[in-house]
Amino acid sequence: MTLTELLSTDVPRSAPLGRLLGSELRWVLRRPRTLVLLGVFALIPVLIAIGVAVGDRSAPGLIGAIAGNGLVLPVAAMTIALALLLPLAVAMAAADAIAGESAQGTLRGLMISPVSRLRLVVMKAFGVLVVATLATLAIAVVGVLAGMVVVGTPDGQLVTLSGSTVSWSGALARIGLVAVWTIGQLVAVGAVALAISAVTEHPLVVLAAVLGGLIVFGVLGAIPALEWLQPYLLTSGWSAGVDALRDPLPLAGMLDATGRALCYVVVGAAATVARMLRRDA
Amino acid sequence: MTPARQTTAAQIEARETEVALAPADRISAPAFAARAIGLRKVFGSTVAVDGIDLDVPNGSVLGMLGPNGSGKTTLIRMLLGLTRPSAGRAELLGHPMPDGGSLALPLVGALVEGPGFHPFLTGRENLCRMAASEPMLTGAQIPVAVKVALERVGLSDAADRRYRGYSLGMKQRLGLAAALLLPRYLVVLDEPTNGLDPAGTRDVRRIIGELHESGATVIVSSHLLAEVEATCTHVAVLQSGSLVAAGELCSLLDTGGAGLVIVTPDVELALRTLREAGVTAYLGEGVEPAVVVGDDGPPAPETISLLVRSGVAVHEARRSRPNLDELFAQLTEETG
Repeated sequence: MTLTELLSTDVPRSAPLGRLLGSELRWVLRRPRTLVLLGVFALIPVLIAIGVAVGDRSAPGLIGAIAGNGLVLPVAAMTIALALLLPLAVAMAAADAIAGESAQGTLRGLMISPVSRLRLVVMKAFGVLVVATLATLAIAVVGVLAGMVVVGTPDGQLVTLSGSTVSWSGALARIGLVAVWTIGQLVAVGAVALAISAVTEHPLVVLAAVLGGLIVFGVLGAIPALEWLQPYLLTSGWSAGVDALRDPLPLAGMLDATGRALCYVVVGAAATVARMLRRDA
Repeated sequence: MTPARQTTAAQIEARETEVALAPADRISAPAFAARAIGLRKVFGSTVAVDGIDLDVPNGSVLGMLGPNGSGKTTLIRMLLGLTRPSAGRAELLGHPMPDGGSLALPLVGALVEGPGFHPFLTGRENLCRMAASEPMLTGAQIPVAVKVALERVGLSDAADRRYRGYSLGMKQRLGLAAALLLPRYLVVLDEPTNGLDPAGTRDVRRIIGELHESGATVIVSSHLLAEVEATCTHVAVLQSGSLVAAGELCSLLDTGGAGLVIVTPDVELALRTLREAGVTAYLGEGVEPAVVVGDDGPPAPETISLLVRSGVAVHEARRSRPNLDELFAQLTEETG
């Protein structure tokens, strides 16, 4: 093909989206820190299970409940990890996604290819979603296995916090529900983290801002005089996952938190797109 | 300040005929591979690029010269749509940038501000990642394109080593490979010889030559004047964000020219003869005895025949042409 023919053929404007997403997926999964992180998340339920097995079996609260039934373990582990560890993983992925690529000098390579700025946001959001999903699933799956092996499942049933029993498949459905709900909360964190990542060239800024933000939210949520702030804080509904262990299943808490997460997603996504359209690479 | 509108009327006419011959619905041949029209970029209170007009003709190899901080990279970044101009227009293959990027950039390869790759991936994996986002490559072509590009820059042996362990020169070669993944209409190379050993520098020179032969347009920024002199057809000289000179390399060198150098053993006789004829002449500096005739004298053939008739043994006569080094120093000192 001669150069003039290059010009006269219809130039494809963009690589296929599927290929871009595949390439992003490979990049995320080849990154050593992603793999280390997933390994650490798989360890969380194992550690809790060991702690419960060797420790005092009449401990109060959620951990105590695990002692009675292994199927409580994955839900407890997800709830504990959602407080700080899972958001940390998502913030790391988002920090690498834009700020990290910019610092590495690879962002301009993508833009010159060219990948349009909107597609770049889609690619990056997909990568963050993958990390959020894999991290949550690692806890859920290993949680179920560790719970069954270490603590055991009396009669193959889940004894709820309310004292009733739920069948094996019903229990798995509830664990799945908590996992999906957790991923939804993480998507909200990821959207905001991506927006910060789109502003800066320093991945550490993203990590610090997200974790600092979550800690501030936690503090604000704990001050009684600021109770009116609660509906606006992403973190205030993060204990709702435990509702899945009650019978009948109260969905209000999780729905509430999901609605709040959606608002954060919309704001975060809009800010990310707005910033990426103007960003220098 | 001369904008680089060096294309002759005949060339423009030829190009217009070519365009007219193309089927009307598929025309996209641009008049210039890249253009800057009153291009300006301001960062805070710093003016990085101060109203540059520059045309890069199709098929030319443009050497962009300038001291550090003269605005070369910023100009290139605006042309590639990586940053938005504060004022003026940047055009790539006839499309305004950055908005026309999706039309122009698939045909453009670039190495800007050094190579950018991920340390935990191998050279090949890094290139595959870049290739995946190239619109003009189909999925099946990617492995071959990557292999060919790696061979072209001499990285085949190190292709499956992690980028982390690459030397500076190898990194630079990989960046070059990314720009050469597929046939390009325009290739932009920002300081391509940074960190390269002499062999690497020769490779870059060879690659630029190959690109030029294939008809591609090349924009190469460099502070190595010898490089530019050896490979470029056109030159643009930048100084503090402004274009101080632009045009074809040979015509630029001619304008800086200073007279005729005549090598002869009969220096004194030659000087006397010329001065009697009213020609500015002086003893040249150098190893061989030579007389330099000023620019204002009669045409060279007349000067030489005058000397020969007077019995001066003329061993050699040549135009004294400054090299790019001198021109560059001259240009940047005038305004600096």
